[in-house]
Amino acid sequence: MGLRDILTGRHQVKGPAPDRLFAITTAYVDLQAEHGVDPSGSAAIVFQALATSEFESTIKDMEEVVTATGGDNGTTVKTEDDSYGYRWMILRSPPGAPSVEDLAVGINAVSSSIETAGFGERLLCAVFGFTDAKKQRIYFIYNYKRGAWYPFVPVPGDAQERSVERELQLKAQVGSELPVEAEIERWFPLWGIPI
Amino acid sequence: MAANRRNFGKDTGLQARMALTLFLLGLLYVVFVGVLFAAGAGAGLIVVVAVVLLLGQLFGSDKLAMAAMGLKEVTPDEEPELHGIIDRLCVQADLPKPRVCVIETAVPNACALGRSQKSATVAATRGILQMLSPAELEGVMAHELTHVINRDVMVMTLASFFASLAALILQFAFFFGGGYGGDEEEREIMLVILVSIVVYAVSFVLLRTLSRYREFAADRGSAVLTGRPSALSSALIKISGAIEQAPSQDLRRVEGSSAFFIIPPRAKKSLMNLFADHPPLEQRLAALERLESQLQGGLSTARA
Repeated sequence: MGLRDILTGRHQVKGPAPDRLFAITTAYVDLQAEHGVDPSGSAAIVFQALATSEFESTIKDMEEVVTATGGDNGTTVKTEDDSYGYRWMILRSPPGAPSVEDLAVGINAVSSSIETAGFGERLLCAVFGFTDAKKQRIYFIYNYKRGAWYPFVPVPGDAQERSVERELQLKAQVGSELPVEAEIERWFPLWGIPI
Repeated sequence: MAANRRNFGKDTGLQARMALTLFLLGLLYVVFVGVLFAAGAGAGLIVVVAVVLLLGQLFGSDKLAMAAMGLKEVTPDEEPELHGIIDRLCVQADLPKPRVCVIETAVPNACALGRSQKSATVAATRGILQMLSPAELEGVMAHELTHVINRDVMVMTLASFFASLAALILQFAFFFGGGYGGDEEEREIMLVILVSIVVYAVSFVLLRTLSRYREFAADRGSAVLTGRPSALSSALIKISGAIEQAPSQDLRRVEGSSAFFIIPPRAKKSLMNLFADHPPLEQRLAALERLESQLQGGLSTARA
């Protein structure tokens, strides 16, 4: 942000950074093979739903497209609004055949149609679900503004606690395969992830 | 970004008025500094004192304000909803997370402190947390985060530097007023005092004007950040209604830092607009309404 922006008090919401979403499709291979972290077969994209007819019709078109392409590989789509007013579009692989590639393609289809319609700055993040050998839920969150990933491991139960230790282990395990957010204070938690 | 301008239009008018205000302030200060230099030696000391005060204000005022207003930092465990809202807004705005505080008072209000994004603090009162729906609270917190993004505390502190300097000179004048030196020197001192009075008065009005424009800019920033201008409108209506009914005892505690609050605690309709540091509610609502209609109709008219 430059001096001019400070003086004028004007700032623009940042649009998506260069796309590194597909990094997850290579990163998970090692995670699964060497560290026993399996894809849970679901992923979601989170965005602010604008209450305008233009936006709603964009979303509706997009849902149809994703459902149609999902028909080929069995991916299903579900939409949910959370209590913060953000919309979750949840993609699920068919039972027993989780495919991170198909999910990433689906998420990418959603985000690119939102961007094409001129609403790119409304995208918050994408979430990919995993489970480890101890059945602990693990999420990898992709921040569209930063073009970076970070792990998020909520402790089971109602308390909003996260296992930072496990998250740091995961960061070390994915190594250089995944562009991980360098500033740990930007590993923002997402409570109540519905996947 | 193109998409933003398409969704929300431009704010050329506001930008022009803000530029004019900054220009007038700058002009005023240039004249003031000129007079001080012409007056010579004694003024140098005052400038040094003022710079020290300014630095103190920039680097120390946070903690002072936090203590004075009774800000208490809260953890995500204590205030999960507030933290959740701010987390999401920080992702949206690509901002490091500020300190999150709560003020234990029933008066609904919120404020932002801190000279930079790294040292920022946002606070909400208990009253506002209880009163607003999540979407409305999000609008208010986005307004405060826009103050942080725009570095409004820094801008206003720097902009008011020479006004504080003029005030300082007046105080000096009262302490050491007259009685020494020759006629020539006495006349010079009188001139400096006169100019200081004028500078103080004019900059007071200009600073208030600037502050109002920063508020409009923060309202706009909030709308752009959340995509829900009407949620902020609804929050402002709720808050202002309650502020007028709130007991004055609590209001007195938050006095003195009203420029950083979303609704100033003691704004009465009788107060002249010129001296108010927040724009009147009707004007803010009208500006938000324009944003909402741009949002609703902007894209379809652009395509038609």
